[in-house]
Amino acid sequence: MRATSFVVLGVALGMSGALVANVVSASTRGGVSGLALYRLAFEKTLANYVDAPDPAKMNEAAINGMLASLDPHSNYLDAKELKDFQTSMRGEEFGGLGLEVMQDNGLVRVVSPIDDTPAARAGVLAGDLIVKIDQTPVKGLTLKQAVDKMRGPAHTHVAITVQRGELKDDKVFDIVREIIHVQPVRSRIAGGDIGYIRITQFNEQTYDSLKAAMAKFRASGVKVKGYILDLRNNPGGLLSQSVRVVNSFIDSGEIVSTRGRTADLYQEYDARPGYNLSGGKPMVVLINGGSASASEIVSGALKDLKRATLIGTRSFGKGSVQTVLPLGEDGALKLTTARYYTPSGISIQAKGIDPDYRVLENIPDDLKGKVESMGEASLHGHLKNGTDEKKGSDAYVPPDPAKDTQLAAAIDLLHGKPPIVKASNDPVQ
Amino acid sequence: MIRKVSYLAFGAALGASATFLAPDALQAVAPKAYATAAETYRQLNLFGDVFEKIRNDYVEKPDEKKLVEAAISGMLSSLDPHSSYMDADAYREMQRSTKGEFGGLGIEVTEEDGLIKVVSPIDDTPASKAGIMSGDIIAGIDGASTQGMTLDQAVDKMRGPIGSSVTLKIARGTKKELKDYKITRAVIEVQSVRGHVQDGDIGYIRITQFTEKTASGLRSTMEKLKSEIPAAKLKGYILDLRNNPGGLLDQSIEVVNDFIDKGEIVSTRGRNPDDAQRFSARPGDDLSDGKPLVVLINGGSASASEIVAGALQDHKRAVLVGTRSFGKGSVQTIMPLGDDNGALRLTTARYYTPSGRSIQAKGITPDVQVLEDVPADLKGKEENMGEASLKGHLANGKEDKSGSQAYVPPDPKSDKQLIVAVDLLHGVKKAEAPSPSPTPSSTPTSQAKDDAPKPAVTPTPEPTKSN
Repeated sequence: MRATSFVVLGVALGMSGALVANVVSASTRGGVSGLALYRLAFEKTLANYVDAPDPAKMNEAAINGMLASLDPHSNYLDAKELKDFQTSMRGEEFGGLGLEVMQDNGLVRVVSPIDDTPAARAGVLAGDLIVKIDQTPVKGLTLKQAVDKMRGPAHTHVAITVQRGELKDDKVFDIVREIIHVQPVRSRIAGGDIGYIRITQFNEQTYDSLKAAMAKFRASGVKVKGYILDLRNNPGGLLSQSVRVVNSFIDSGEIVSTRGRTADLYQEYDARPGYNLSGGKPMVVLINGGSASASEIVSGALKDLKRATLIGTRSFGKGSVQTVLPLGEDGALKLTTARYYTPSGISIQAKGIDPDYRVLENIPDDLKGKVESMGEASLHGHLKNGTDEKKGSDAYVPPDPAKDTQLAAAIDLLHGKPPIVKASNDPVQ
Repeated sequence: MIRKVSYLAFGAALGASATFLAPDALQAVAPKAYATAAETYRQLNLFGDVFEKIRNDYVEKPDEKKLVEAAISGMLSSLDPHSSYMDADAYREMQRSTKGEFGGLGIEVTEEDGLIKVVSPIDDTPASKAGIMSGDIIAGIDGASTQGMTLDQAVDKMRGPIGSSVTLKIARGTKKELKDYKITRAVIEVQSVRGHVQDGDIGYIRITQFTEKTASGLRSTMEKLKSEIPAAKLKGYILDLRNNPGGLLDQSIEVVNDFIDKGEIVSTRGRNPDDAQRFSARPGDDLSDGKPLVVLINGGSASASEIVAGALQDHKRAVLVGTRSFGKGSVQTIMPLGDDNGALRLTTARYYTPSGRSIQAKGITPDVQVLEDVPADLKGKEENMGEASLKGHLANGKEDKSGSQAYVPPDPKSDKQLIVAVDLLHGVKKAEAPSPSPTPSSTPTSQAKDDAPKPAVTPTPEPTKSN
């Protein structure tokens, strides 16, 4: 029995996340009344509906309805969606816009545009609510139907209408689809002597790409003083990859633990000696309201272990783990099966991670008040976590690195200058 | 004998609607046509598999009843906008409202200069016992100011489950002293039919919805009108179905039968040819003595209202005045799931007017189109987009997706549709075109103009709503 766990926010629109997983096959016991009730309703509907209904469609709508009633991250993936999902987790290619999306109360919300994709270049932003695709209202479509409508062959057009911010201004983007190459890690030398690493998502290639980036730094001849790990607008991905990424910066200690419904479903992930690639050099992690899930595992562990200083704004707050449970030829179930806890035993669910230094970006006037990620706590039906839940935060990263205040603060800190903290908030130590 | 009560209501009627079916009325027969037994079995297995996985692996212990309800609800909502699942509470509420009852206070209210005003408390209701009086202004409901609320919104807030309580802030008298009244809701009977003598010689009848008591209510209303207006003087009837969302099929048939003596009223067709049903008038039940009849409809007239309007139009028994109706041409059947499991509300048939047309997603075009003058602050908000704009509606060839007005002025004196109806029955000829043509025209496009001659209309306390 093997199930691959993953921590990703939203369904990748053209992206990533493979998984295999033989199913945890369930034994049938009890619940007969529940199933019998469904059977009764299903058969009555089949027999009496005004037109001949398609039983497969009815059943799918029922399964979607049932999963949607659980929490925002439990979904049904039909055979095609499962294949797409596996393709994207492997980091393979597909034709699309380059958006991470999730369902939000009947509509589709942008979790984040993926770097260097048509969607990012067109100016689609994290938090945008997609209301129309090619003139078709999204209301009433399932997430899958919406994603299908956005995907398509390269060079074809799609028009998406989004609502942004409180004012709900409609904005139409006419975007040309491209083959989306998912490159999970990008790196360069920043500030003369700092190794800057951006992880856009945690797919099967993330750890290998990180290793390659670190090797590139060593080969560059630059004497690297420290690292910046940029997890802003990274919606997450595979749990196993996030654990390896943390291990690349530490030698020992607990990284994360997960707890399911029962005590025997406890699992602890610890660092293995010999995997630390960082030479113990100082490090800064950049987070914002679009950093979710696997990103929060990484930043939470590095913060708790005092390995890194966190700069930016509060993270999204998705503290749950989904498992893909295959259903034979009928696709798979993406089901929330556990919560995860940082090394100090904290669940960040619906709370997020506060950075050590809260540094805000300068948001252009036309985007003010519109680039806030609502965060897990504002999702309809999210798993509850006590009374002090916290909403989202800014999720804007300036396209021009020269104007990137959070990045500049990170470089300054690694150069020994304390970051300029915006007056609007006190640093959380 | 299987007795099947069908139900036709559009949306959640403001306090009312529909019927249901004797338990066991519909058996889940082996699914025909499309679904083979093997496929059905396969789907049920898949569902069972998913259900088991959730039961075993979900991060929290799920509430199984809620899971199944969410599944059934998802399944039905995927079919069309009028199929849905009702949980036990919703089902009880619906049964009550088809009986013509709801949980409320028992006040007739109206809107006057933007204020919600009590027309009268109904005898023996919580409101009258609490001391609410005619003329009281309802300034607040449960701490929320009624300023800016529509009459419907205020009524919705006052209604609620029986036994629950609501606090009204009442302003009384010239000094407008404010006082709070905490009132416990009880069962209130809806009066679905009201009537009055209009202009001395016309019987005006308004049906707000088709409940179990509508047919009997209409009969007693017509008897009363006939006793008030001598037969020789009675010029005819106005049947006002504006903003009537529908209700029970059998009641709509009875209503039509009160105005015609013979002929088909409506037919319904389900998926199987042997499900077709034809409903015809019973001779001797016509109470109208063949007097002229005008039916008022608008964009909010749906379902059972459209059966009535469609039948009377096809029989050339009435002249239809107003705006195009909603266009809901389907019939829902309520199928209880036993115990405390709620019920399915399932679209089981389409209906056809006597001439064989389906008004689904098309609506009924009035013989004389008359638009109301909409106050500036309501402009653009008073249109009903109709069935054709609903996602997943049953398709019906060339549909009409444009909106249709659904506004009725609170003051009958400025109710142009009513005025035109009265004029028609009085045989008033309007010399100045392009005012409403008094004869049923085949291309009903004329629109009443502001300067059209307005006959004196006796003001009557319509429309009021009870809650």
